[in-house]
This record gives sequence, structure tokens and C-alpha cells, in this order.
Amino acid sequence: MRRAQPGSAPSAVPAPEERGKIAPFPQKALALHGATVPGRIADVSLEIPAGMLVGLVGPNGAGKSTLLQVAAGLLPATGGTVSWSGRPLDEVVAQERGRCATWVPQEAHFEFGFSVRSVVAQGRFAHGDDEFGVDAALARLDLVQLAHRPVNRLSGGERQRVLLARALATAAPLQLWDEPLAPLDPRHVLEVLKLARELATKGGSVLMSLHDLRVASRLDLIVVLHDGRLRAVGRPEEVLTAELLADVFGVRARMAPGLTLDLP
Amino acid sequence: MIPSRYLSWAMPATLFVLLVLAALSLMIGDMALSPARLWQGLLRQEEMAALVVWQIRVPRMIVAMLVGAALSASGLVMQAYFRNSLASPGLLGVSSGGAAGAVVVLACGLTAYSLWILPLAAVAGAFVATLAVIALARHGTGTERLLLAGIALNALLGAVTSFVLSRQTAVFNRQTQILYWLLGGLEDRTWEHVLMGAPIVLAAALLWPLGRPMDLLSLGAAEAQSLGVDVRALRRRLLALSTVLTAVATAVAGTVGFVGLIVPHVLRLLVGPEHRRLVPLSLLGGSAFVLACDLITRCVGDIRLGIVTALVGGPFFLWLLRRQT
Repeated sequence: MRRAQPGSAPSAVPAPEERGKIAPFPQKALALHGATVPGRIADVSLEIPAGMLVGLVGPNGAGKSTLLQVAAGLLPATGGTVSWSGRPLDEVVAQERGRCATWVPQEAHFEFGFSVRSVVAQGRFAHGDDEFGVDAALARLDLVQLAHRPVNRLSGGERQRVLLARALATAAPLQLWDEPLAPLDPRHVLEVLKLARELATKGGSVLMSLHDLRVASRLDLIVVLHDGRLRAVGRPEEVLTAELLADVFGVRARMAPGLTLDLP
Repeated sequence: MIPSRYLSWAMPATLFVLLVLAALSLMIGDMALSPARLWQGLLRQEEMAALVVWQIRVPRMIVAMLVGAALSASGLVMQAYFRNSLASPGLLGVSSGGAAGAVVVLACGLTAYSLWILPLAAVAGAFVATLAVIALARHGTGTERLLLAGIALNALLGAVTSFVLSRQTAVFNRQTQILYWLLGGLEDRTWEHVLMGAPIVLAAALLWPLGRPMDLLSLGAAEAQSLGVDVRALRRRLLALSTVLTAVATAVAGTVGFVGLIVPHVLRLLVGPEHRRLVPLSLLGGSAFVLACDLITRCVGDIRLGIVTALVGGPFFLWLLRRQT
């Protein structure tokens, strides 16, 4: 594994004048080597190049959420290492982590009635609460109308959009989303996918877990987890073969014309 | 939605109420003082009034304010820590832990050696209770589990206090002592108690800048960490501060319930959940609430502070429980 040398490697943190933009960098945005969490995931090694929109798929209980939490530095891996843009996670202090990567939980429970806007503004905590890009993030996730509503009175899909807007506001180059599409209505699914695509085009990396394999087949890269182990990594057409789908998911794949949805 | 008109008002209004209550608390009592006599007493122009004001009422007023600020801020911190608006030092047994610690050293006669033995023992007792609550109910846990843990701890630590005190009939006036520690009170507080409560000021000052990270923590520890909060360090600090606040308050005034529950809750209803506002407001609001309750004890006569806060707080708590479900 290549370690970042001071001065030679570009920092994972965008310089202050570049805030809001996502700085492109040549390294692997995320690298896991032999990541293990007993009983959940075992010996997962994975490299995600910058600028990629990556889908993490696998049956229920395969370890997708655990993998995302390990990648986000929230769950310590008992074995193996995690690095962001070539920097081992141990070298990144807490506040800087908030600028390098962000994680969106599968489900959020809000005990207190913070306004939607103030929750999204929390994404700027690691930037000294400068409010930069908060309104843009609200607009992007279709939350302007809800900006002053308390978050503990929102529907599941609305809450999910608040979390995504907060992640967007961080401007972190590495975005780790745990089933972001599950509670969303069809239009917002397409909007969020479009947003993820834009982030990747700008040089960011998005790793999201999802269950809809038809959506997954349109992403750049697919990571398949099965029983806590890495089963396959690659382009969708290489990975999502009839054999793998039958083996991992227990489903029979068939190409057929069906209902296709697109943004107007 | 939070009516924004309250926001700019909240701080000056709370401060005003606090000042009015402070003035009243210097005037009302066994010997009522008119504003003019109070003024003479404050300036030491009249001997009798000066004695009452400076030796009795001012220390009592300061202790009341310290205790109120401490308990209310402590409750606020626990609510953010456990992500549960029903958490508070009284309900979780932290106050009982402080009281048990204090009573044990009182019974052993150790308090004669130093002024600081009593608060230190209260801090030790409160820490034991805090650690037990954390072990029993994990962070972000359901109300049910948190309150059940609190019930068990309160019963256990209350039993320790009662047991120790009931063995001490020969040494202490048992009735007074038990009532004192279990019901809390501000009678006969002296400048010594003010000094004993001084760590509250320090703890409050250390808590002041933690409002912003508390916002993030109160919506989820993992999320807060992902957003750049050093969650482990923050949690350690919050836990130490809230325990010390409760313990010192308990050491100077016995267990006074419900302050840490009511004050942050009412303030949250008024100004919203942002802790940068809630931390200073709950310090002031807690001071005002305990001063007001202490005034009631003086006006009604022969009623303990803990009884007044419980009489106000009990129904309020039930209303909250009803509202939550």
C-alpha cells in the first residue's frame, strides 16, 4: 500500500479556496486491506478509484452496512487497514475526517426537533460551521419547502433526503451511503442517482449499498458481498452474471423489456 | 416549527426573571425587608438588615442559583448524551448516587477533616451511579430501558442512604438528616456552602463551548463522528461535567429532583433544540427555577425544596410521558 508523503501527495482535504468543489485526486479514494469485523465481515480487500459511482450489493445480512461503517472509520476493523486517498485512517484526526468522508446511515432516529436546515448545516461542522453550500444542498434535495420544519416530524423519505443533503453539504470527496434509495419515491431515486453521478464526474467517489440490481447495473462498479466476504468486484456487465445472481441472491436473471423510468 | 420571535427574547427575559427572583429572595423570609431596608442592609448601613442579608440570604440565594444551574445543565447534558429528552440526574439515579456518597462520609465522621470531603464523596457516589446507568442502558437507548435502569439505581442507592442514616441514630438527628438528604433543602446555607458549590461555576464554564458538538451528538453518535466530532472525547467530557455538576449540587443541597428534567424541556419548547442557546439558557433558567421554588418554600413555610420541585415536576413528567407516546 502506498502511503502519502507530506508534500508529494495531494491532500484529501480541499484547500479553503476550493471549498464546495470536490478536488480531483489520482489515488484510490478508498482502500480496504483485509478488513475484518468478527461475525460480520471477513478479510475484505477493496480499492475504489476516485471519480467512480460504486454500488455495494448483497443479500440481507451480507455485511454491507458493516463494510460501509468500517470504510467510514466508525467501526474499528479488528484486522486490516482502511485508507482514504492513500492516507491510513489513523493519521486522520476526528475533525479532518468530517471533511474527507461522510457516511449516511440507513435509518435515522431524530429525538430532538432540529429544523431541517440546521441539520443540513451540521454538515459544515468540520469546516467551522461556515454554512457554505447549505442552501444549495437543500435545493438539490428538494428540501427548500421543508427547511424550517422539525426533523422529528418528517416522513422516512424526507428524513433520508435531509441526511443526503447534510452529506452533500460536507463537500467530502468520499461519500458512503447506506441504502439511500430505499425509502425514496421514484422521482427522488432518479434525482439522487443523478446527484451521485455528478459528484463522481467532479472527481468524488460514491459508494452506496442498494438492493435494486437493475439500478446497480447502471453504476460504474459493483461490489458484491456474500456472507461477510467479498464475492466479486467489477463492472456491472462482468459481475452481474446469471451464475452469480443465482448463487448469491438465489434469483434467476432474465432480460426483458419492462417499465423504465426517467427524469423528464 | 420554532417561532423565531422567542429567540432574541429568551436570554434577556430569563436574565430579567432571574434578577427579579434574586431581589425577592433577599427581601422575603422570616424577617421581611422592604426594598429600602434591603438596600441599607446591602450597604451595611443598618446592622440587623446587614446581618440578615449578608449572613443568611445572600449565601442562600447563591447556593440556590448554583444548585439550579448545575442540575438543569446536568439534565441538558444527559439528554443529549442519551439522546432521550426524559433523561435527567434525578430520574437516572445520579443524584441518589451523590447523596449516598455524601451520607456515607457524613456517617463516618470524615467531614470534619476538610470542607471538600463531602463534595468529593458526592462526586464519587455520582460517578458510580453514572457508570452503572451507562452499563445498563447504552447510548441512544429507548426510554423504557433508561427509566427502568434509573428506577433500579434510585431504589438501590436510596436504600444505601437510608440504611447508613438509620444506623446513625446515636450520632445524628436521624429524622432531620434523612429528610435533608432525601428531600433536599437550602435552609441555613452559609458562605461555606457557597465555597463548596464553587466547582459548579468551573464546570459550567467548561460546558459552555460544548454546545455545538452536543447538537451533533444529540442526533446520533455515529453520524456526529462521521461529521467530524471526536465523539469519544466529547462523551467523556460531557459525562464528567454532568456528574460533577449533579454531585456538587447534591453535596450542598441534598437531592433536588426534576430540575434537570423540567428546565431544559421547557426551554427547548421555547427556543428549539440548539445547544449553543440551551446551555447558557439552562444555566440561567435553572437558577431562576430553584430560586422560585425556594421562595415558595419560604412563603408556605415548613416545606422542603425537594418537595416543591417534585410537586411541580411530577405532574410535568407525567404530561411529558403522555405526550411522548
